[in-house]
Amino acid sequence: MQILKNSNFRALSKIAGMKPEEVIELVKKSGLSGRGGANFPTGLKLEFTRSSQGEKYVIANADEGEPGTFKDKLILEKNPNNVIEGMIIAGYAIGSSKGYLYLRGEYSYLKNKLQKVINNAKKIADKLKIYFDIEIISGAGAYICGDETAIIESVEGKRGNPRLKPPFPANQGLFNKPTLINNVETLANLPLIILDKSWNNSFRLFSLSGNITKPGVYELESGASLKKLINLGKPKNKIKAVYFGCSGGCLPYEDIALNNEAVKEKGAMLGSCAIIAVDEKHNIVDVATNIAKFFEYESCGKCTPCREGTMRVLELLEKISLKKAANEDLELLEELCRVINETSLCGLGQSSTAHITTALKYFRKEFTDKLK
Amino acid sequence: MKITINNKEIECQPNKTILEVAKENDIEIPTLCYQEGFEARAVCRICLVEVDNKLLPSCSTKAKEGMVISTESKKVLEARKINTELLMSKHIQSCFVESKEHELCKIAKNVGIRQAKFDSNKKTYIVDKGIAIVTDNNQCILCGRCVQACQMQNVNAIDFAYRSYHTKVTPAYENKLDDSVCVNCGQCLLACPVNAIYEKDDTKEVLKALKSKKHVIVQTAPAVRASLGEEFDLPAGTLVTGKMVSSLRKIGFKKIFDTQFGADLTIMEEAAELIKRLKENKNLPMITSCCPAWIKYIEHFYPEFLNHVSTCKSPHDMFGAIAKSYYKDKYKINKKDLVVVSVMPCTAKKFEIQRKEMKKEVDYVLTTRELARLIKIKKIDFNNLADEDFDAALGLSSGAGTIFGASGGVMEAALRTAYETATGKKLEMLEFNQIRGMSDFKEGSIIINGKTVNFAVVNGLHNAKEVLEQIKNKECKYDFIEVMACPGGCIAGGGQPIPTNKEIVEKRMQALYINDKNNTIRRSHENPAIIQLYEEFLGRPLSKKAEKLLHTNYIKRGI
Ligand code: SF4
Ligand code: SF4
Ligand code: SF4
Ligand code: FES
Repeated sequence: MQILKNSNFRALSKIAGMKPEEVIELVKKSGLSGRGGANFPTGLKLEFTRSSQGEKYVIANADEGEPGTFKDKLILEKNPNNVIEGMIIAGYAIGSSKGYLYLRGEYSYLKNKLQKVINNAKKIADKLKIYFDIEIISGAGAYICGDETAIIESVEGKRGNPRLKPPFPANQGLFNKPTLINNVETLANLPLIILDKSWNNSFRLFSLSGNITKPGVYELESGASLKKLINLGKPKNKIKAVYFGCSGGCLPYEDIALNNEAVKEKGAMLGSCAIIAVDEKHNIVDVATNIAKFFEYESCGKCTPCREGTMRVLELLEKISLKKAANEDLELLEELCRVINETSLCGLGQSSTAHITTALKYFRKEFTDKLK
Repeated sequence: MKITINNKEIECQPNKTILEVAKENDIEIPTLCYQEGFEARAVCRICLVEVDNKLLPSCSTKAKEGMVISTESKKVLEARKINTELLMSKHIQSCFVESKEHELCKIAKNVGIRQAKFDSNKKTYIVDKGIAIVTDNNQCILCGRCVQACQMQNVNAIDFAYRSYHTKVTPAYENKLDDSVCVNCGQCLLACPVNAIYEKDDTKEVLKALKSKKHVIVQTAPAVRASLGEEFDLPAGTLVTGKMVSSLRKIGFKKIFDTQFGADLTIMEEAAELIKRLKENKNLPMITSCCPAWIKYIEHFYPEFLNHVSTCKSPHDMFGAIAKSYYKDKYKINKKDLVVVSVMPCTAKKFEIQRKEMKKEVDYVLTTRELARLIKIKKIDFNNLADEDFDAALGLSSGAGTIFGASGGVMEAALRTAYETATGKKLEMLEFNQIRGMSDFKEGSIIINGKTVNFAVVNGLHNAKEVLEQIKNKECKYDFIEVMACPGGCIAGGGQPIPTNKEIVEKRMQALYINDKNNTIRRSHENPAIIQLYEEFLGRPLSKKAEKLLHTNYIKRGI
């Protein structure tokens, strides 16, 4: 896999002879964009944050919480050097000397290992007169802390709740200072971009799980066929649907290209490239209920539609599962999903109903069959 | 710049939220979590408007040049209704509606909710019945206004805990409010749009006492007369002293006295204490002590500076002490039979009277709202009552006592007396305008017997930290400081009618200053009842007897 090529801090010596602007230019040219799911061009983000005044911070978002996503875990386990080196490069590019690695609570077994890498990197960087400190902050298991502004609150020692945007982190982030937040995979690519002219921007890491026999992380070119991926996973039974994590919604299993545009056209979101396969043995209402439980549990509780709404969504789905629901319950469910999506404060709430909206679009019969 | 709201083109200033612009143009958008003077949290999602097919919270979205906004599109109304339904289903289970409908009920009515769509709340909580403040999480809709209010007070006694629909507002470690650093100021309950926080109700106890054979007397604080009318739909700032007194008589109190008498007494003691400290140059700056919320604040957060706090009890407790000694003896009432009730704008006074140091000198504290409740229970037609006067002696007071209810008032009253008693001269100008009004921090100076006395007024607890830090760093240039916990003073106390906002507070404040101006006695030391009390009973300010009855000590609580 391209992403697992260990750069071994060689990119640091290279950037030591470059101007920060040149580093940014290189990243811009590479075409790299955020691999956490939002796809924002990384070079631009670096440039924005660089142009903000005053003290700045870098945060590595290693709070990989989207169900079905485990690609960052692989990188942190197998190639932590690149992540840390990527943070230092980002810091150098924007003019920051302090970074935080926000590590998912469940990944705390990696903490010691990462600390060693940080210590080692520091020695090398210091020699090159690149001064950058990195601190590891452990998450405490909340899904919401994958949201960039919730991470900021959490690093500040506060309750992990999202902030209103604007202001955006690039202007006012951690401790109200300009802050660059990037996903692990994005950062791990930075040293490769610096070192390797043949670096290929089209590789994506797909986390594949669900009703298949060979779950794992697969590196494919963006736009690869869904069929190809599923076949790599060796399903036992016929696959009926695929879910893009919990927040990306679902599609019926057919052969589509795995890129943002194609998936979006069908009404779902590729996001962080998590694919959960669901076979014919499973009822979509059951899957929906299960995912609804997740969101009900993980809502941060700040805004009305998400906090109260996810709980009512689950209530309605359970009612449908138990065959106690009437058609008007289904209508209420749809209306509720729309309002949660349109009025929630942050991405968690807004995307918490995509799995239902898409399921109702493609598998409506499985719902109506259960009405009384 | 220009924007369009509901097809109407509107000229507006940049850098304003859609809500602000709408308000300026009399376009109503309902809000719930938003409170003026605070940063928008934008969590209730009731104030939605539609822009470019998108729903946005108007309280936190800035209006931009050329924006086309709808405040009542189908999309807006549908979403607002669902979000209101969601909140109602969380709240409705145990909602009790006070005399006035609360904000959520009003919104629900306006969006056309007759029956809750969702089942009632799935979680139930034990109601935290504190000494002064009751919090009922069953009614809470998690708008966060109370948390902001408490942050504003710089106390931070409450915050959110847990997540999802398990989220709740609670003191740290889910302790009871009484076991927290809460100072009982009640600003949180004024902020709450659904009465999920309220005062501990003592009306039943008072009614019971009134029914018994006991001699039940009542005193009313200055701020109550300037706000009670609001509970009966009179405009803010209406002075209802006469009607208040006659309603209290109708309710059945034996004697109706005035806490302003206690305030005058406080001034006598406090002015004497100030002059003494100035002379000895000890424990300066001296800080006022009539606000029990402030007292608990310093006991928790700056106990090392308690020596700076005046030892004077608060006015109503001084009154209680005199009632249970001088008054009791004079009228030959059995100690067991005398019940003293205070009507206060303040929730913290409920806490204060049960402090050990206060020896139960006051038996019950009713807030302004509770008095209104009593009047309503007794079916008294308040607005048509004839004016009546306080009872003699302990009902007589000066204008200086009146202004105790407003921020800066205690200082002004104390300065009038301190200056005149220390110098033997008359003040030409009684008004100290520089320390009146709603600013956070006010200051001035006066020359007493050749010495400049610098004084300052801290309006609202959030400004107290600064002077305390000055004292800590030995940089404090003041000799005398007044601190009132509630922004605006007692007229904005936690026991006052809801709503209590800046505009209303200013009107109440005005009413008190007019009352002072119209009083023929405007100096505490000229109140004949006070003079008589010292002659007959106390001797002089800071006498042994006065020290024993009217002064107190404090507890180092820490955090
Ligand atoms: S949508 Fe609202 S409740 Fe849900 S996670 Fe975001 S802020 Fe919290
Ligand atoms: S009474 Fe005052 S101190 Fe106590 S919680 Fe409410 S606002 Fe905070
Ligand atoms: S107690 Fe009242 S003010 Fe506080 S969060 Fe709940 S509803 Fe809002
Ligand atoms: S008032 Fe705007 S979201 Fe609550």
